[in-house]
Amino acid sequence: MRPSARYPFRSMSPEPTSTPPRAPVTGESPSPRRRRGLLRTLVRPFRPSRTGTMPAGLVLMIVVLALGVAAFLNADATLRKSKAKGDGWRQEVAQMVASVSDAVGLNRAREGVDQAMGRNQDNSVSVDDLLAQKLAETDSAAAQADPQATRVAAPPKLRQPTPDAPLRFWVGGDSVAGTYGTSMQRIANETGVFTPTLDYRVSTGLARPDYFNWPEHFVKDVLPGVQPDVMVLMFGANDSQNMVIDGKPAERFSEPWLTEYRRRVGATMDLLRSENNDRMIIWVGAAPTGPNSGVATLDKENYIYWSEAQKRPWVTYVDTWAILGTPDYTYAGSAPYADGQTRNMYQKDNVHLATTGADRLSWATLSHIGRFVDLSLSKAVAPASQLAPATVKERDTLPVPT
Amino acid sequence: MLFPTIDFAVFFVVVFTGNWLLRPYAKPWRFFILGSSLFFYGYWSTSYVFLLLASIGANWFFGRSVHDSLGPDGERTVRSRWLVRIAVVFNLGVLGYFKYFEFFLTSIYDRLNSLGIHANAPVLNVVLPIGISFFTFQAISYVIDIGRNQWKRPMTLLDFAVYLSFFAHLVAGPIVRASEFAWQLDNRPDPRFVESSEAFMLIVRGMFKKVVVSSYMATVVDPVFQLPSAHSSWETFWAILAYAIQIYADFGGYTDIAIGVALLLGIRFPQNFDAPYRALSVQDFWRRWHMTLSRWLRDYLYIPLGGNRGSVAFTYRNLFLTMLIGGLWHGANWTFVIWGAIYGGVLVAERIVKGWWAQRGALGLPPQLVKTLQWALTFGIVCFAWVFFRAQSVNQALEVLGRLFSSGGGSGLVTPLLIVTIVAMVASQFVPPRIPERVTAEFAKLAPILQIVALAFGVMLVNALGPEGIAPFIYFQF
Repeated sequence: MRPSARYPFRSMSPEPTSTPPRAPVTGESPSPRRRRGLLRTLVRPFRPSRTGTMPAGLVLMIVVLALGVAAFLNADATLRKSKAKGDGWRQEVAQMVASVSDAVGLNRAREGVDQAMGRNQDNSVSVDDLLAQKLAETDSAAAQADPQATRVAAPPKLRQPTPDAPLRFWVGGDSVAGTYGTSMQRIANETGVFTPTLDYRVSTGLARPDYFNWPEHFVKDVLPGVQPDVMVLMFGANDSQNMVIDGKPAERFSEPWLTEYRRRVGATMDLLRSENNDRMIIWVGAAPTGPNSGVATLDKENYIYWSEAQKRPWVTYVDTWAILGTPDYTYAGSAPYADGQTRNMYQKDNVHLATTGADRLSWATLSHIGRFVDLSLSKAVAPASQLAPATVKERDTLPVPT
Repeated sequence: MLFPTIDFAVFFVVVFTGNWLLRPYAKPWRFFILGSSLFFYGYWSTSYVFLLLASIGANWFFGRSVHDSLGPDGERTVRSRWLVRIAVVFNLGVLGYFKYFEFFLTSIYDRLNSLGIHANAPVLNVVLPIGISFFTFQAISYVIDIGRNQWKRPMTLLDFAVYLSFFAHLVAGPIVRASEFAWQLDNRPDPRFVESSEAFMLIVRGMFKKVVVSSYMATVVDPVFQLPSAHSSWETFWAILAYAIQIYADFGGYTDIAIGVALLLGIRFPQNFDAPYRALSVQDFWRRWHMTLSRWLRDYLYIPLGGNRGSVAFTYRNLFLTMLIGGLWHGANWTFVIWGAIYGGVLVAERIVKGWWAQRGALGLPPQLVKTLQWALTFGIVCFAWVFFRAQSVNQALEVLGRLFSSGGGSGLVTPLLIVTIVAMVASQFVPPRIPERVTAEFAKLAPILQIVALAFGVMLVNALGPEGIAPFIYFQF
C-alpha cells in the first residue's frame, strides 16, 4: 500500500511554523542513524531544527530504554507488589528483572531513596514466606501430635486487665471499621482497662494487597509496634471484587476465588497468633449492607471468617448480622434498642455505620470479649440507648451461604 | 487501564510504534487507533465497549442527518432543529439512565418515606460506564455544531469513531471538539519532529501530581471526610485544603499525562488547566479550572439559555442555572447540586459587587493588598465548595464544616510535610510559565542518553514516593 498522496506533513504546534525549509545541518533528523552509530546518536546532544522535537524512532528508543531502566531501578518494589498479588507469570518476570537488577546494582538507587524516606523495604520480611513458615509450623505440629489437638486447644490465656496494667487493644480494618472502630476505641477507652489504638484504611481489604497489604502491615507495623493483646478486625466491604490468582483473573465468589480468599483469611489469622498464646483475635463479621449500597451481601465472606475462626482457638468471631440485622439475619436499616426506641443504624450509603449502629456493635463486641477476658474492673457502663435488646443473641453456627 | 501502570506502558509502546509506522496510510492508521482505543476502554469491561460503539453509531447518524437537513446555504431548518433536539435528548437520556436514574428513584422513595409512605427503592445496580459523561458531551457538541453550521463537513464514520473513542481523552477528558481534532486526522504530522520534550515533561509532571501528591493528600482527606467527628478543627482545616490540592493534582495530573501521551502520537489537545488556584475571582477560577468543560457549558448551555442577551436578572438566572447543571453533571448527588449552586450564586454575587464597585470607586487600598484579599476570598470560596464536592452526603459536608468550629480531637494527621506540600502546591500556581518552559528547553538540549536517565529516575522517584498501588483517578467517576 502506498502512503496517501493527499496526506501532507504538518507541524504539531498549534500555530503553523514559519521556519522555511532548509538543508539538514549536522546532527539534524531525518536519518541520524544512517550517519552515526546508535551509541553516538544516544550520547551526543540532539540539535533539531525545531526545538524540543525528535524523530519518532529516537523517541521510541528513549521511551523503551527509559522504561527499561526504570523497571530495573524499581525491580525490588515491583517484585514485592507482584508477590503480594500472587501475580503468576508476571511475578516470574519480576523475579528475573529483580535478579538482574541486583546483580548489576541498579536497585541501589531505589534502596537509597526508600531508606532516606524511612521505609522498610527489607525483603527478608516476606509476608508470603512468613505465612508459609507459619502454616508449615502448624501443619508440622499437627502432623506430629494428634491432629485434633491444635483445633481444640484452649483459647489464649489473657491476664486480667487493670487500670494500672491495661491490655493493649488494637481495632482496625477497612472504612466500615473506621466508623465502628471509632466507637469501639471510645468504649475501650471508657473501660479504663484497655489502651486502644484505631487503625483503619479506606478502600482496603484482603482482596487487593497491591492496594494495601494488610498482612504486611500487621507484620511490619502493628505486631512489633503496638504489640496488641486484643485485636479487633473487620474486613469485607471492599472484598467483593475479582482477584488475580496466579496471573489469572478469578471472578468474585467463583470456586478459585473462594478458595484463595479462604487461604488469605486463614493465613492472616495464623499470622496474628502469638507464640505464647496470649493474644486474642476478635474477628468482627462484615456488617450487612442495604439497598443501593453497591456492595454484595457479604454472607460468603462472613462464612469464611466464621469457619476459619472455628479452626483457630485464638480467633473468635463476632456475629455482626445477629447484632445489627433483622431477627432472620438480613439487613435492617433501623432496629429497636434496649430502651425500646428504634434507631437508624446506617449512614446514607447503607454500608457505613452511623454512630448509633457503631455503638451497638461496639458494646456487643465488648460483651463478646468479656467471655474470654476478665473485665470485672471495667468502668464502662453501657447505656440502654446504645445497646441491642437482650433478645439479640449471636449464632453459634453460621449457615452455609447459597 | 490506568496511565501510571506497567500495563499502560506496554500498551503505549505498542501504540506509539504502530501509530508512526501506519501514519502514512490514512485508513489503516485510523483502524489501528480505533482498535487500540477500544482495547484500552475494554480493559475495564468489554460491555462498556458496546455502549461506546452504540454512541458512536447513533451520533454519527445524527450528525449526518442534521447536515443533510440543513438549507442550501447551511441555514437551519425545522427538520434540522428537531433532529438536533432528538440527538440531545437521546444522549442525555442515555447519560441520565446510567448516571441519574437510581438517584432519581432513591430521591422519590426518600420523599415517600418522609411522608410516612414506607417503600423500599428497587435495587437496580446500574453501573456507570467510565467516561460516559465525557464522550457524551463530545458527541453532543459535534451534532450541535453541525446543526449550527459551525462544523460544515460531517466526519466519516471511521473518523468520528476515532474522534470519540481516542483513548487519551476517552475516560476523563479534556473535552475535545471535533473542530480541534478532525483536522489533525487529515493532516499527517511530520515524524521527524515529534514534540517529545514537552510531552515527556507533561507526562512526568502529571505522574508526580497523581501518584505522589494526590495519593499523599488522600491519606489526610479520606479519614477526615470518612469520620469527621473523630478529627479536630485543625485537622479538618488542613484536610479541606488538602482536598483542594488532591483534586487538582489528580485531575490536573491526569490531564497532563493525557496531553503528553497524545502529543507523542502527534495529536495536540486543548489546555484544560491554567493555574486555577491563582484566580482572583470565581469567574477567573472557572476560566482556569477544567477549561474545556467551562467552554462547553458556555457554548452549549449558557448561550442557548439566552446568555446575557436580556435583562440583568435574565443573565443572572442563566449563569446560576448553568453552574447548577454543571454541578449535576459531576454526579447524581445533592452535594453536587449544592456545589454548582454555590458557584452559580457566587458568580452572580461577583457581578453585582463588581457593578457596585465600579460605581463606588476604589477604596484607596494598595492594589497588591486588594489582589491578595481577592485571591484569599476566591481560594476560600473554592475550598468551601470542595467540601460539598468531596462529601458523600450533605449531612457529611455540614459535619465537616461544623468540625472547623469545634474543639477536641487530635492533630496527628497534620504533619510539617503535609503543610509544606500544600503550601508548595499553592505556591506552584504562581510560578511564571516561562520557568517550566525553560526547564523543557533545557531538557531538550540533553543528549538522548541523559534524557533516558532523567526519565528513568523520574519514574523511579514517582514510584518510590507514591503509595503501593494506584487508586483510580477521581474524575473517572464522572
